[in-house]
Amino acid sequence: MKVIEVDRLTKYYGKSRGIEDLSFNVQEGEIFGFIGPNGAGKSTTIRTLLGLIYPTSGSAKIFGKDCIKEGTEIRRYIGYLPSEVFYYDNMKVIDLLNYSASFYPNVKKTRIQELAEMMDLDLNRKIDALSYGNKKKVGIVQGLLHSPKLIILDEPTGGLDPLMQNKFFDLIHEENRKGVTVLFSSHILSEVQKICSRVGIIKEGRMVKVEEISSLEDTSYRKFKVELADNIPAGYFDIPGVSNLSTHQKTSTFIFSGDINQMVSRLNERKIRNLLVEEPSLEEIFLHYYEKDA
Amino acid sequence: MNVYRQELSMSIKSCLYWTFGMLLTQFFFMLMFPAVSKDAAILNQIVSKFPPALTRALGLTTLDLSTVLGFYSYMFLVILMVGSVYALKSGTSVLSEEIRAKTADFLVSKPISRSSIASGKLLSVLSLLVLQIMVYFIGTVIIIKMATGQHYDPDILILINLSLFLVQIYFAALGFLLGVVINRIRSVLPLSLGLVFAFMVVQMLNQSLADPKLAYLTPFAYYDLTNIISGGGYESSFLITEGILIVMFILLAYRIYNRKDLPSI
Repeated sequence: MKVIEVDRLTKYYGKSRGIEDLSFNVQEGEIFGFIGPNGAGKSTTIRTLLGLIYPTSGSAKIFGKDCIKEGTEIRRYIGYLPSEVFYYDNMKVIDLLNYSASFYPNVKKTRIQELAEMMDLDLNRKIDALSYGNKKKVGIVQGLLHSPKLIILDEPTGGLDPLMQNKFFDLIHEENRKGVTVLFSSHILSEVQKICSRVGIIKEGRMVKVEEISSLEDTSYRKFKVELADNIPAGYFDIPGVSNLSTHQKTSTFIFSGDINQMVSRLNERKIRNLLVEEPSLEEIFLHYYEKDA
Repeated sequence: MNVYRQELSMSIKSCLYWTFGMLLTQFFFMLMFPAVSKDAAILNQIVSKFPPALTRALGLTTLDLSTVLGFYSYMFLVILMVGSVYALKSGTSVLSEEIRAKTADFLVSKPISRSSIASGKLLSVLSLLVLQIMVYFIGTVIIIKMATGQHYDPDILILINLSLFLVQIYFAALGFLLGVVINRIRSVLPLSLGLVFAFMVVQMLNQSLADPKLAYLTPFAYYDLTNIISGGGYESSFLITEGILIVMFILLAYRIYNRKDLPSI
């Protein structure tokens, strides 16, 4: 069953583009990654799904119901965690969570306690005294307390330390195991790779590609920066799987996708002074995508 | 109902502060009544020597300083302005505050329609205005009692004070509309002060020019204190005008709010 159906969704803010002709589906029970650089239209899409903004044309359905006409009904089953959380400053955490719970029928009090314990959140603090990361935790509890059937996360991990990020991912996985569908938007590829089963890549308001995460992993890209003891001969790194190669005297930078052992043995032939292997930025991956498509 | 309750709990303190401020002003002014009423004849004479355009503009033409309600009405003009600023401020900020504090995403992503949000909030503004006028009314009765033993007609005091509430509703509705029309309001209070003052200037023009059409433009012209004190009550044409305007403001505000894109954080 399709939980989210987005059909040729277009949103213009005046003359500037938000998203254009965007179509994709999210199946029940999957964790769908929504990835793209800043300004690509991820938030615009999510805000349309939630009825925070209205589309210029096209339609979006959740649970088979129209996001605009039946938004109130749909939102009962959605949990939303925005990238930046803002709450009423003069409230206590517990008051805010109770206020949030009051919008949903039958929220169990124990659920709030459980979630707060799991996220290590003090319920009796005032919200304006909370750090950014702690506010984020309030956001997580607030988004999950009504046991939603669909969780929408808009770049949720910013401000959380690695330990909390892991707890958070565990929490999301746990919900997912219970059959909850997740739409996870991010600009960090590794994050998406870690948690999602399928991923949609969005650029400049359009969906470039929807792929199984496994196929992305096959072609895992690594960015190499190599400094050798001597000048690098021309074409030394020009082997299959290498792209974006630039060589300057003793240093080379390139992106490599393929069997990493092949690269290691090539590097082994010479004396290396310095070696940096890192995950390429999303833009570099994208560049790759366009080269491949072209 | 939860939006209504939340809004009340967040704004009730500020409402009470404004109310006590209004009462305190009226209290100190009324303390002077015993002294002034003795020399009221002289004062009335002085006022009558002001240029007529000025006295008309200030609305001083026929208020009698020797009677308690006449004296009360002088300061009431100030209270009317303060109360109007409060009403305009509350009406304007009730929806726009969520956007300023960036909490709108939280609220609107809940399973509640835009109309219900607007209704809960509008109702809270109205409730606080009702609370304010009730506290203010009780307060003025006590203050007048403390200041003087002079007899007055309580019905007329009710009509005077009720005119404050009626003007406030106008401003609250106007503010409610402004709050959804203007996209990002940096600070509500200066805007409210400016607008109320502008309406007061129109009222001054209206009083000195005595142009019947001008009177419809400002709610300050709808309730003529001199007329009320002399037992004339309210004028129905103004009551109807105000009613129509308020309904228009509110309906328009709902319509716009229901179709409005919330600015992203």
